[in-house]
Amino acid sequence: MITCRELADLLIDFSSGDLSPEHREHVEAHLGHCPSCVAYLEGYRLTIEMARELPRPPLPPNLARQLRALLEGRGS
Amino acid sequence: MDESNPNLVDPAAREDPAPSSPPTPEKLFEEYAPRVYHLARRLLGNAADAEDVTQDVFLQVVRKLPTFRGEAAFSTWLYRVTVNAALAYRRKQALREAHALPEALEDFREDGNHRALVRRWMTTPNHLALEREGHELIEEAIAKLPESYRDVYVLADVEHLPNAEIAEMLGLNVPGVKSRLHRARLLMRKALAPYFEEQRS
Repeated sequence: MITCRELADLLIDFSSGDLSPEHREHVEAHLGHCPSCVAYLEGYRLTIEMARELPRPPLPPNLARQLRALLEGRGS
Repeated sequence: MDESNPNLVDPAAREDPAPSSPPTPEKLFEEYAPRVYHLARRLLGNAADAEDVTQDVFLQVVRKLPTFRGEAAFSTWLYRVTVNAALAYRRKQALREAHALPEALEDFREDGNHRALVRRWMTTPNHLALEREGHELIEEAIAKLPESYRDVYVLADVEHLPNAEIAEMLGLNVPGVKSRLHRARLLMRKALAPYFEEQRS
């Protein structure tokens, strides 16, 4: 049986689906009896999803003006 | 279309701007400028520095734009130029990290088990990340990552670039990118956990 720490090291490949079937079995067996690792994995996945959803707010007005001028050939 | 006979090419189709043309100034401004600015801001952890870098990148864009034959090539090039400009800026500012990298796995005991019970998170990403407060928490946690982890994290998890492309940009190999990304995610998880974990009842 793998330890919690060993499981943590496999999370990157586990969550991207790149883990070998053998390692995947180890991970799933451990998750079956360890609520802490289930919560840890869930937090890991939510962290990834939240980063993916970060917005790109509008440019600062000053920078926006300078870039417009540059793109319209009025820049330095 | 019969490519063996160029005389049959429809003149209207020949003027179609996609897909072999570089992006229009409008698209550069609306779509690519925010990408460049926010990537630079997250890499540098500083809005004023990101403005300088964005201007520098767009001077290069204006010079090189006519040489691009399509948007895919342009987009790849733009990411590379932005990363290079941001990293060069950081070196120039001598803001390099001097402290040791934090241990992302310190939450485990000698025997490899969790030190304490890990609590479940009470949010779904759609729920909290959409709110302004959630975004600020995540941005702050990103800004606190050690630079070598932050670079990989921003390019992979925020910008969704493939690991191989990130490796090339940063002069790493793919296992090196994955290892840094993984540690960055563990640090991010740890930084966000206090806000998202279920309260002890």
